[in-house]
Amino acid sequence: MRMQQMWAATTLLMASMTTLAAGPVVGVSWSNFQEERWKTDETAMKAELGRLGASYVSADAGGSPEKQLSDIDSLLAKGAKVLVILAMDKDAIAPALAKAKARKVPVLAYDRLIEAPEVFYLTFDNREVGRLQAKAVLAVKPKGRYVMIKGSAADPNADFLRAGQQDALADAVKKGDVQIAAEEYTDGWKPEVAQKNMEQILTRLKGQVDAVVASNDGTAGGAIAALAGRGLKGVPVSGQDADHAALNRIALGTQTVTVWKDSRLLGKEAASAAVQLAGGQKVDGAAPWAGGERKVTLQAKFLAPIPITQANLDQVISAGWVPKAVVCKGVDPAKAPAACK
Amino acid sequence: MSEQSKRLAVMAAALVAIALGFHALTGSFLTAENLSNLVQQTAVVGIVASGMALIIVARQIDLAVGSLLGAVGVLMAWLQYTQGWSVPASLAAGLGFALAIGLFQGALSAIVGLPSFVVTLGGLVSLRGAAFLIADGKTQPISEPWLLALGGGMDGALGERGSWIVGVALVALCVGWQVVQRRAQSRAGLEARAMSREALQAVLTAVAVLGAVAVFNAYRIEGQEQGQGLPLPLLVWGVVVLGLSFVAKHTRFGRYVYAIGGNPEAARLAGIPVRRVLIQLNLLLAALVALAAVVAMARLNAGTNSMGTGMELTVIAAAVIGGVSLSGGSGSVAGTVLGALIIQSIDSGLLLTDVSIGWRMVVLGQVLVAAVVFDRVVHK
Repeated sequence: MRMQQMWAATTLLMASMTTLAAGPVVGVSWSNFQEERWKTDETAMKAELGRLGASYVSADAGGSPEKQLSDIDSLLAKGAKVLVILAMDKDAIAPALAKAKARKVPVLAYDRLIEAPEVFYLTFDNREVGRLQAKAVLAVKPKGRYVMIKGSAADPNADFLRAGQQDALADAVKKGDVQIAAEEYTDGWKPEVAQKNMEQILTRLKGQVDAVVASNDGTAGGAIAALAGRGLKGVPVSGQDADHAALNRIALGTQTVTVWKDSRLLGKEAASAAVQLAGGQKVDGAAPWAGGERKVTLQAKFLAPIPITQANLDQVISAGWVPKAVVCKGVDPAKAPAACK
Repeated sequence: MSEQSKRLAVMAAALVAIALGFHALTGSFLTAENLSNLVQQTAVVGIVASGMALIIVARQIDLAVGSLLGAVGVLMAWLQYTQGWSVPASLAAGLGFALAIGLFQGALSAIVGLPSFVVTLGGLVSLRGAAFLIADGKTQPISEPWLLALGGGMDGALGERGSWIVGVALVALCVGWQVVQRRAQSRAGLEARAMSREALQAVLTAVAVLGAVAVFNAYRIEGQEQGQGLPLPLLVWGVVVLGLSFVAKHTRFGRYVYAIGGNPEAARLAGIPVRRVLIQLNLLLAALVALAAVVAMARLNAGTNSMGTGMELTVIAAAVIGGVSLSGGSGSVAGTVLGALIIQSIDSGLLLTDVSIGWRMVVLGQVLVAAVVFDRVVHK
């Protein structure tokens, strides 16, 4: 009896809390918090929701697609009027979509594509990331033998990136200026695997490598260690993620470019898009898109990634992404880029 | 020839066959550059595998070595890069952390009596989490030149003269050891081997060691005045293998390990302090993992939370291919060198042939099985 009373009181309390907030309840289902970056996203998302007067409820599936389905049930039960989903598995999420559809709750696919017509997809443009990587390397080495260090074969983003890199290199390849001398997937995106692969590529090509297009900063680190081990200096190398270590390498001059996807911007945009979706409005800047595996047309919005080189290193520092001391650690003042002076 | 040396000879023959095969396919496998790469790529696994051999001989297992390597590597790099510790202090802290984990896991299995499989399976998961937590998943670069040299690369080798000195010293050590052994045998009234056999062994040792030195000296990076010589990771690995082989064969601790593996109950009844030996063994492996973490971190010029992922299986496979019996009691430290080299040769060789990653994994897995099957067939 007492239990039931407590339950009733709790339900009442929760109901009153949700009605207190002026804006809608936004339910966010995270796939797993093991990766540090989602914490960054969450902080930005919460801040923006607070500003818009909406309230935030969330659940963390801990890497399990099954748990994510029950998470979404409970988010709906808590009164979510819009769902933001970082899907653990893009296909296994389908039952949750059906439930949301039945309740007329709109769904925003956060950073990872969920291919269904009623879904709104928000992410950084991965193909554009690939283009920016190759473009920055091409600017330094317009001619020569290129090595492509790709991401994990199990991650669809690895191929989006590679396709973007090809977009940027296609003309130079056709003219014969650039030759793709070798390419290799990197199991699990692991730096030590990228290093071993790069070492073997250098052996195979007898050290004749002019540029390396690596798909993220971890693999770039491995490739740079391999180049240094063979005494090759000044070979341009690309990356992605604006890892602190990579920004430091850019200041030191061992890495050419990293492509920065400010996850705080992604979180903020998701919050405002979710509030607009809950109100039945169209999201600012949304456009139809059908670039997924099954060519389903859905509404999507792509945020622009930013290439960071020595020339605009100050941008990550002034945005508060990383302290200047970290970027400029160990940089020789005589050769320092402007951002470190 | 003893059973063990026959096994080693077979494995060495397999390694040579693999190397010749890849050289025929690619034309670049048996080059000084590739062989130098190969030993540097193998050293980290090799250092841990030499300790794993003794753990498996004693009927234990350690699944946590890869995760421990990651956690220790990140800890040491983080203390240097983010916390500003001196290099020696950070390495000491890493070693201390590894020993604490070794003591904890060793005590749980030796004193509480939990199976080491379960204890270290827990470690495999938890320590990978710790590797992430220590630096919040961020890569920690390292920059101390002498530390980076331990990872090999252009500035991490002995140079020509240094390599010849080490090579000659090693040959002298081996031949001197033969003389000591021979004296001891005759003092004990055992029949000594024929002088011709002794001479043959000495000559073979000299050819192998000095040949290796010549090969590594022949690898010259453009712009360098002299050849690279022995890479430092190889040197570290070599010292570990020689040291552990000595411990395994010629100390009381080593004999206890084999006795426990042969029959734990009999060992206990014979008065061997089984628990103490098992804990010491865990501490030994933990120290080797810390050493391997230093080499791995130096090689990559950074500590990352993914370091050593999946390494436990490569290490165990290296030990098993090298002739360590999973049921305990038999196997040698020297065998793990061949086991580790065989695995890495196949992986690196397939990379030279430009085979896709899927096929590389398919082949690698089956070669591991084939190596053990081959070993069985030869011994039946």
